[in-house]
Amino acid sequence: MNENFELENMRQQMNTLKKKLEQQEIVNDRFIRHSMEKTAGNISRRYYFIMAVCLLMIPYSYWAFVKLNGFSIPFWIFTCITMLVSFGGTFYNSRKLGDSNMMTNNLVDVRRRMASAKKFDANWLLIGIPMAIVFLGWFMYEAYLLHPNAFFNGLFWAGCIGGVLGAIWGFSLHFRTQRQYQEIIDQIEDITAE
Amino acid sequence: MTTERQFAQTVAEHKSTIYTVCYMFSQDADEVNDLFQEVLVNLWKGFEGFEHRSDIRTWIYRVALNTCISIDRKKKRRSSEVRLTMDINLFEDRDEDTKQVDMLHKRISKLQPFDRAIVLLWLENLSYEEIGQIVGISTKNVSVRLFRIREQLKQMSND
Repeated sequence: MNENFELENMRQQMNTLKKKLEQQEIVNDRFIRHSMEKTAGNISRRYYFIMAVCLLMIPYSYWAFVKLNGFSIPFWIFTCITMLVSFGGTFYNSRKLGDSNMMTNNLVDVRRRMASAKKFDANWLLIGIPMAIVFLGWFMYEAYLLHPNAFFNGLFWAGCIGGVLGAIWGFSLHFRTQRQYQEIIDQIEDITAE
Repeated sequence: MTTERQFAQTVAEHKSTIYTVCYMFSQDADEVNDLFQEVLVNLWKGFEGFEHRSDIRTWIYRVALNTCISIDRKKKRRSSEVRLTMDINLFEDRDEDTKQVDMLHKRISKLQPFDRAIVLLWLENLSYEEIGQIVGISTKNVSVRLFRIREQLKQMSND
């Protein structure tokens, strides 16, 4: 009898403990901030890679298009402009990530910056897709001028395959970046909603 | 949903279970927070590899108890950049409920660590079979040990 009372008493005490703990929230602010910082770092690294590719493409395109294949200088200048515009846009958006110190800044402010960066990144397609179409069209035209009687030569197919692969790669990067921005925004909303 | 979010959600759902185990194996508020942190680190390490072949609650108990039993308290306490804990101090609060909880803590902390684990699981209303699965002994062995633990507890209350 005494034994059962003791054990029953212990179970009640356990229930009391559980009730007290259930009312508590885990102080997980820093954990979530770390997770956000990791995601933002991932986007930043991708931006740095894109910026490096854009800059490298300027001398490379001169060698590959003008020197090697004999494309026109205006086409190379247009390629340079395309790359510089891409560099500028990426650099502008990367600054929003760089300025957002995830571990210390006000989360509402970080969320605002992330939403703005996500929107800019989404709107970038409005510039990026027409630029890519013009670039590819001009590329085909240049190839046609060089080889008017052999339209289906290697250069034409290289352009087609490169264009398709580039589009797939670009879209996959774009959607991954969009998804990661949304993850950061969702995580901030999770914290600030508490 | 990302792994981090899934993990945060799982921890939030089982926070009281994890904290209870840590509390019963600690002697002060710092220790309970250190253990809580250590258990979360171990849960995180195993989270991606957890294949849901057993119940998540069983897995959490196993990791928490193994961590608490095996941790070498003589070692320097783990200091981590990321501190995760709960804003509660069961060792210093002095309301009636906390006194009751403290009585439970005193009783349980007098037991050997392995017996402490078994009685904790029993107090959580787990079946003998589940207790056996978590601590790695047979169902029969669980019932024998629980009988001895009850005798010990009875002895304590008589003293």
